[in-house]
Amino acid sequence: MKPAVSIIFFTVSSGAGLGLLALVALCDTFAFGSLPAHALWRGALLGVVLVAAGLASSVLHLANPKNAWRSFSRFKTSWLSREAVFAAALFPVSGLYIVLVIQSKGGASRILLAILTCALAWAVLICTAMIYASLKPIRQWHTRWTPVNYVLLGHWSGALLLWAIACAYATRSAPFLLVAGVFGLAALAAKLAYWHSIGDDAQALTLERAIGVREGVHGPGPISAAHARLLDVGHSHGTFLTSEFGFQLAQRHARGLRGVALALGFGLPLAWLVVGVAHWQPALAAAVCCIMGLLVERWLFFAEAKHTVRLYHGDPRT
Amino acid sequence: MKLGLVIDLDTCVGCHACATACKEWNASSKVNGALSDYEPFGAEPSGVWFNRVRHYEVGDYPENKTINFPVCCMHCADADCVTVCPTGASYKRDDGIVLVDQDKCMGCNLCAWACPYGARELDQVPGTMKKCTLCVDRIYDEMLAPEDRQPACVLACPTHARMFGDFDDPQSEVSRVTAERGGFGLLPELGYAPVSRYLPPRQPQPVIDADDARALLERGLASLASPVIRR
Repeated sequence: MKPAVSIIFFTVSSGAGLGLLALVALCDTFAFGSLPAHALWRGALLGVVLVAAGLASSVLHLANPKNAWRSFSRFKTSWLSREAVFAAALFPVSGLYIVLVIQSKGGASRILLAILTCALAWAVLICTAMIYASLKPIRQWHTRWTPVNYVLLGHWSGALLLWAIACAYATRSAPFLLVAGVFGLAALAAKLAYWHSIGDDAQALTLERAIGVREGVHGPGPISAAHARLLDVGHSHGTFLTSEFGFQLAQRHARGLRGVALALGFGLPLAWLVVGVAHWQPALAAAVCCIMGLLVERWLFFAEAKHTVRLYHGDPRT
Repeated sequence: MKLGLVIDLDTCVGCHACATACKEWNASSKVNGALSDYEPFGAEPSGVWFNRVRHYEVGDYPENKTINFPVCCMHCADADCVTVCPTGASYKRDDGIVLVDQDKCMGCNLCAWACPYGARELDQVPGTMKKCTLCVDRIYDEMLAPEDRQPACVLACPTHARMFGDFDDPQSEVSRVTAERGGFGLLPELGYAPVSRYLPPRQPQPVIDADDARALLERGLASLASPVIRR
């Protein structure tokens, strides 16, 4: 799949924002880590800004954005529509929540809004993941590890941002370091499991299956156990299909980029956590480093995904 | 109703007449609007097509065979391109035809991602998704002669490798020929229940050798000549 910059930025930025929002709301609800109000609202506001930036970027992906408002209309069937609805609901709810926190109002309404903010953030995160996980023609996306990855990676980058905020404003930042560490290890495990699972191509579709000759065909004599190859693709230059689905990533580049994603997205931030210097500047640097790594990781999520259309264009298997 | 196509891989010669006839008809159709071309006379011509013909070789010489393989929308019974569409632009009609409402599409490409066959192409000029309409503006047009109320690709095919009809009707030509010839749908394992069917290449008849041919000819001549001689 073509790695579209607008979508890569969207999923990483709003993933971090949604993770941060959910964690802030949870910390407030359960009074975890005794974050002061000015830390809570700053965290929540940063989360909202990251989500808004991501969604703005996602609109750039649309070829006909004037109809974007119609995307609220198929909630019952479309994960993209659900994402749009939940994201649209998230802004007023989290906005109201931030106002209550700034005014230092306590009580049931603030707790209710915090819980709603968290639930909506999770809903958006899951919907984003399911847009990809529900696509059956793309084996590398149509796996249970896709939603697990999106949720954990969002919380991992969000938890690093929360740690930076705690370093700046909270009396004790150690609990948030622990939270970030737990999400970091879980997200790392999920990412490795995802890469392991897509590496097993026993379920891959083949060109022979795509053109229906797997059982053999009649040629001059019967050709049993046939294998097929492309003779001519039928177009003289690229098409929408080749530009959208034809992206080729060399194996050695994939390995190198996985290394970069692991180092920036997990290795360095986790090392920072172990060192554990409770100043907001290195903590923020760790979060930014993680987000850079996740941009590479998300680029790979697209670049390594192979759509079945590629079979018809001559790929032996996807 | 379950309208769809049958494509005969035995008789298809890969001439692309279906693809060009489709392009010609649909480029001036009101259903999708024009089908844009990019640099049609330049060094890198490209554009929107609903029908693409590719060519494959199956097996290894001498046990090999060329298969010409036209692909367009299968008008799936369980069409994920419709399910994933967030705007409601993609829809399935009661007669089985899957269409895109050009006034509603926001060009997010998700339907094209959900289609395993590559049957949908984004038109960069209006920024909307376009696809085979099964010539919905031909097949119901009562101004046309009944034999012309078929998709342009079917009418254009010089080897009659394409047939159009209702797969819900067991007596229709498409249903009968599918049953007789073991017609199959593409990638059924994905669960989209594609409606259109492909007919596999037939077992070729053995070619007679020269001696057999001479014997046949002599027998034929004798049977022709015998009434004359008897008289």
